[in-house]
Order: sequence, then structure tokens, then C-alpha cells
Amino acid sequence: MTAGRYGFLLGLPLMVLCQRQVDARLGRWGAWQQALYFWSGEQVKRLTPGFENLMADLYWLRTVQYFGAERLFSTDKRFELLEPLIEITTTLDPRLEVAYRYGAIFLCEPWPVGKGDPEAGIKVLEKGARNLPRSWRLRQDLGYFRYLFLRDAAGGAQVLLEAAKLPGAPFWLETLAGTILARGGERQSSRLVWQRMYEQAEAGILRENARYNLQRLDALDAIDALNAAAKRFAEQQGRPPREARELMAFGLDPRLLKDPTGVPFEYDPARQGFWFSKSSGMWRSS
Amino acid sequence: MGSSRLTRVLAVAANTHRETVRERVLYNLVFFAILMTLSGLLVGDLSVQQDEKIVKDIGLAAMDVFGTLIAIFIGVGLVSKEIERRSLHPLLAKPLGRGEFLLGKFAGLGFTLLVNVAAMSAGLLLTLLATRGRADLGLLKAVYALFLGLLLAVALALLFSTLTSSVMAAICTTCVVVAGRFSDVIHNMKQVAPGVPGWFVHALYYGVPNFRVFDLKNPVVYGDPVGWDVLGWLTLTALAWLSVLIGCAMLAFRTRDLQ
Amino acid sequence: MSHRMTNGSAALEVSGLRKSYKVGHIVQKRRLALDELSLSVERGEVFGYLGPNGSGKTTTLKVVMGIVRPDAGSVTVLGSPLGEPAWRYHAGYLPEQPYFYDYLTPFEYLDYSGRLFGLATATRRRRADELLERVGLDRSRDVALRRFSKGMSQRLGLAQALINDPEIVFLDEPMSGLDPIGRRLVRDVIMDLKRRGKTVFFSTHILPDAEALCDRVALLGGGRLLRAGRLDEILSLDVSHLEVLIGWHGAAPADAPAGARDRSVLGERWRLEVEEASLVSVLEWAVARRGRVLSVQPIRQSLEDYFFKELVAVEPSGPWVPRD
Repeated sequence: MTAGRYGFLLGLPLMVLCQRQVDARLGRWGAWQQALYFWSGEQVKRLTPGFENLMADLYWLRTVQYFGAERLFSTDKRFELLEPLIEITTTLDPRLEVAYRYGAIFLCEPWPVGKGDPEAGIKVLEKGARNLPRSWRLRQDLGYFRYLFLRDAAGGAQVLLEAAKLPGAPFWLETLAGTILARGGERQSSRLVWQRMYEQAEAGILRENARYNLQRLDALDAIDALNAAAKRFAEQQGRPPREARELMAFGLDPRLLKDPTGVPFEYDPARQGFWFSKSSGMWRSS
Repeated sequence: MGSSRLTRVLAVAANTHRETVRERVLYNLVFFAILMTLSGLLVGDLSVQQDEKIVKDIGLAAMDVFGTLIAIFIGVGLVSKEIERRSLHPLLAKPLGRGEFLLGKFAGLGFTLLVNVAAMSAGLLLTLLATRGRADLGLLKAVYALFLGLLLAVALALLFSTLTSSVMAAICTTCVVVAGRFSDVIHNMKQVAPGVPGWFVHALYYGVPNFRVFDLKNPVVYGDPVGWDVLGWLTLTALAWLSVLIGCAMLAFRTRDLQ
Repeated sequence: MSHRMTNGSAALEVSGLRKSYKVGHIVQKRRLALDELSLSVERGEVFGYLGPNGSGKTTTLKVVMGIVRPDAGSVTVLGSPLGEPAWRYHAGYLPEQPYFYDYLTPFEYLDYSGRLFGLATATRRRRADELLERVGLDRSRDVALRRFSKGMSQRLGLAQALINDPEIVFLDEPMSGLDPIGRRLVRDVIMDLKRRGKTVFFSTHILPDAEALCDRVALLGGGRLLRAGRLDEILSLDVSHLEVLIGWHGAAPADAPAGARDRSVLGERWRLEVEEASLVSVLEWAVARRGRVLSVQPIRQSLEDYFFKELVAVEPSGPWVPRD
């Protein structure tokens, strides 16, 4: 065998071995390396003059993958890189509306569904509204999210009214603003908001999200009904119910016993009322 | 016996085009075809309803990249290779003026790029038709502007090719093309570096071809209307720059002693 | 541009040509390649342009072809000044060590050359075929030039110089790289051109070729014209000695005649080198000793001898300059 062949046959497995050792040691840098490469949108923009659109697409794909991977596979869901990735994407292509909308959802949704950082999500939508002054959809989201996540009814309604003035805006934005302001029960307004969103959205994550929230509102209504019945039970029996079935005698609709995912509600002594089971996908601390 | 200027220029152009084809420059179209197929197939599954935009972005960006690479790296060899190898000597003894030679070289490579860009456009539109059922002819406006930019790059490469060796010409051309893509930064330099004198900024801005204006990818992909007047002015700008650059090349080349 | 150049003037007139080059990388000096060169070539003659390597032959041709610009002086070809393009329709040029396009075939290259002259398609294709056959490349007609040997490229170079049926042909070292068959071919082409009344200007450093073909020659040394004129004029004074062959029947004499400056013995024959003045005495000496005079030949100084006499090398590999 010639020297060349020896070199090749020995070098190849050696190279694979060393690579694995290096990967194992540098593992903790892996998350950063894998997602970002550069820290800011301006940097990337300067490095790829004339190709900003394409780079924005690539970073957007990366953002979606990152978000999905964190949600599905990561044990330590932190969504750290979400904000920088969205910032880079929207700096590269300020007109990429989808990045603002989905980015805001990813950020606003409470953990572990999303990052649980509504202020960051609102900031993204505000940036989008600045860069796309004629997009009523972005302002619609901004208004909704201010109300939904920051509980700022006045601010949210204000934005919706501005959005209603933009060309192409649907007629009901004003009505919605009014409803939010009138505070017809926070849950009712919320239901209106999510209902609209569900009807408007194309099939995909926005629609799924709206459906989830509508179901959750229904579940909260069910919990209210259960708790009312539980109170009557406690007055009668002198003790709180141990499980929802005990309330059947009060003429409760059996459908109210389970949440929309099919998991029965559980009595939580700490709350002194019924709440989602911890094994349910809908469980949240509040 | 006698030949017109146009005959001679066309003869050189035809030969130059033949050279690029036989030197397998058009093989880059194979890579483009593969790229388009892959992006058309994969992207739809990955993104969130962005596939049409992404396919357009990839297609236009690839046209830009491949076209610019060809313009620069073939362009710098147009003249310097002929001088280095002395294949120019037997030609100059014939009634072929040096200026005619340059024009012919430019036209030949320009035509090759036209073929390249046309094929890629067809590929892109086909991919869009196959994946989304709709081919957006507005894209062709961006393609036209892109092609004008490529011609400028060829003219730059040609100019440097008459002045120096292939390697140096490649470096210089690349630098100017990249600087030209940063024209917006140059324009806004006053904001970033207030100490720089105004005349310098102006000189730099008008002295370097502004490649950014030929980049209509963003407006076209977002469906913004691009008026014919814009395209008209772009064409005139390109022609103005071409006459400056090729004119300089002709002047530089006319009196140069060849080895 | 279809008129022929028939206005009786010289085919080539060079007057006071000067050309210098910068040499060196950091510190640049000027080296004189052509120094006040003047010559003229008549129509219809085969003119040899001779000189050792580095004497300025190729530079002269490059100036005429417009590849380099002279510092001073003027050139007219077929009666037209250098700057006018008209004479180029009637001229052909074979550069030294020509390089053509790798990716073309010889036929395509000739076709391209013909296009530059504005020849009609049928004409140039016919001529291309004829010329390829003439130079022996007809079987390689469609072979890419990248596969060509030096000799084959040289032949193609000759063909492309003739594509436009020129009145004057400039050949720079036309025999270079050719085998004896190729050299014979070039000679035949040159003689054929002469027969048809064309002017041939060819440069070479191989003197026997010039001796065989040229009507007139110019000798160049160190960028300067040393001599120009008919070969027999330049060399006429230079019958250097005579060669006498003597055969001996019986035993050869032990001594040599006084007038012979060299003697070599070839079996039963002697070969003597004899000065012209001593010829008679040597012949008488031979006859007296019963030798048989077989032949008496004048050995003229060859162009080569003339060269070495006129020029001296400054350093082993350096330029040759006139001895004065």
C-alpha cells in the first residue's frame, strides 16, 4: 500500500473520532452556534448586500425550526434565541409580515407553549406596525395582544381604532374596540377576540392557537359552573367534593366534568375549587 | 473586400460567446436547475406558507450570484488572457481596431449572460408554476434590472482587464462591485461619520456604480408596482455607466504596448 | 476598401524608427530595442530580416503590426501610413510562436479570421479549406487547437496569414518549430508567393534559409541596421578561400604545398584549403608530383561567417552588438 492510501484509510476514522470528541466538549456552545452565527440584523445585512430578502427567508426558516424544536424536543425549554432570531429576520426584511405576527405569538404565549414574554412580543408587533404602516392586520394583532396579554384594554382599543382607519380594514374592528373598552366581562371580550382570529386565520398555527384559546375559555366557563355546584355541595354536605362526579346529583351537564382534551377536572384543595388536572395539556398555574 | 465596423464587432462577439460556451460556463445552469428543484420541493414543507416567496427569493438570488460570478471571473480574462497568451497579436494585424475588439468581447459575454439569465428565468417561472400553479411575470422586471447590473459588472471587469493582470483585475472588480452594493451606506455616510467631507462622499457615491438600484428583488417579490419609467431610467443609467466604463477601457487600451 | 494597392510605391518603408523598453522591476532603466532604423522593401521581393536573438527583429514587426508604438519614426505599408487601416486588408502576419484559441478548430479559426476581413461566407470557407490543404492540416481540420503540436500551430499560423490573399506577408521566424517537411513547405509557400508577385518580409536567425530564399536581406544587430542589400552584394567580396581536391595514384607526397593553409586526408585524396592568390602555385605543385586535380571550389564566406565577423557578443547570453 502506498503512503497515500495509508494516510487516507487511517485519517478517515481518526477524523470522525476526533470530531465526536470535539463536539462533546464544545456541546454547551452548540445551541448558540446552531442558531445565530451573527448577533444582529444589521451585521447580517452588511455582510450580504443585495441578498437581504433571501437571508431573511433563511433566518425565518431557522426561527420556525428553532421554535418547533424547542417545543417538541427540548427538555429545558427556554426559547432564548427566539427574540434575537426574530430581530434579525425583521431587520433583514422589514416587510416580512409573517415574521412579526408569528414571532409575537411565539413570544407572548405563556410558557411552556411559548416564551411567556408578552412585552417582547408587543415590541415585535410595534416594530412591525412602524415598518408596515399600512398593515391593519399587524395593528389588529397589536391591539388584541395588548388587551389579552398585558390586560391593557384602553391601549388595545386605541390601537384597534387606529387600525380601523387603514385602507382595507374590516368594519368590525371598531366594534371590537368598543367591546373591549366596555369591558363586557373580560372573558366575553376575549372570546370575541379569539373567535375573530379563528375565523380570519388560514389553517395553521394562528388558527390552532385561536381554537385552543376558545376551548380554554369554554373550559373556564365549565370550571365556573363546577365551582358553583361545588359550593352548593359543600353547604349541603359540610365538606368539599372529592371529585366532579359527586356533583352529578346537582343536575350538572356530564360534559362539564371533563376539559376539552378529555381529561376530568380535579378538585384542588389549595384553590378550594376545581381546576385542570395536572395531567391535562391545558393545565396552567392560573 | 471590406468589412464594416459592425461586422467585425459581431465576429469578435460571436467568437467570445463561443468561447464561454465551450469553456462550459453555461454548466452553472445545471446547478441552478438542481437548486430550483430542491427549493421547490422542500421549502413548502418547512416554512409557514411562505413557499412562493422563498422560491422567488432563492431564484432571484441565485441568478444574481451566478451571474455576478460569471461576469467578474470570465470578464477579467476577456482582455488580459488574450494579452498574456498573445492570441491578440494575429488579430490586431488584421483590420480590427482595438476598440472594436473590446466592444466585441463585451457584447459576447453580455450575450452569454443574457442566455444564462433567460434560462434561469424560465426555470424559476416553471418552478413557481409547478409548486404554486402561478407564474408571476412581474418577476421579469427584476430580472431585467438584474441583467443591467450584470452588464455593468462585465464592463468593470473589462476595464480592469485592460489595465492589469487577470488576478488583480478580479480583485479590483470584486471590490468595486461590493462597494457598489453598499451605495446606500455611502450615501448615508454623513450620518455615520460626520467628519467626512461632503465632496468626498459625493465623489465616492457618483464614482462607484450604484449596484443597489438594479436590485428590484424586494419590490417585485412583494408585488409593488414597478413603473416603466423606473425601468427606462435604469436603462439610461446603465447605458451611461457602460459608455463611461467601456470608453475608459478603450482609451486605456488604445495606446498600451502589448508584450 | 476593395481597391488594390497599385500605386507603385515601395511595399514597406521604415524611416528613423526608435523604440525603447523599460526594464527592471523597482529601478527601471530604458533599453533601446530599435535605434534609428530605416529600410525599404520593394514590391514583389522576398526580403530577409536577419539578426541574432534580441537584435530587434520581432520588435520591428510588432511596430509595423501596431502591437507596440514606436517612440519615433514612421512606417508606411503599401503606400499607406501605419495608422490607416486600409493596408491591413492586403497584409498578412505570422507572429513568432503563435498562440491561437484552444477551443477552436483550425477551420473555425480561419473562418473567424476571414470574417474580420469581411470575406463572404462561401469565399472564406473555400479559402480556409484550400489553405488547410496547402499547409497539410486538412486532416486535422476539426481537431481542437488545444491538441495541436508546435509545428501544427505554426502551419496554421501561416494559413491564417494568407486567408485574405495578401499583397504583402510578414512572417516572424516562420520555420521555427517545424520539421524538415514543414520547413520545405514554408519555403514552397514563400516561393509560390514570390512567383505570384507578392512581397514577403520574413525574419529569421537561421541564415541558410535566408540564403536560399531571399532577394535582399537586412542585417540587424543591437537594434541597428548593419547592412542591407542583395545577398551577392553583401557577400560578393567574401570569397574566403578555395577548396582543392587532389587524388593520388601512387604514394602521396610527404609534404604539403606552401600555399595551402589547411590539409585533410581522406583516404587517397587530399582536401586542401588554399588562398586565391596561391591557387596556381598549389596546382603546379600537385601536377609536378603526379597528383590528379579532382576539383577546385570557391568557398564563399557564409552569412554566418559574416555575422560572426560583424558582431560580437558582449556576454555569453546577452545581446549581440556590432563590432566596432
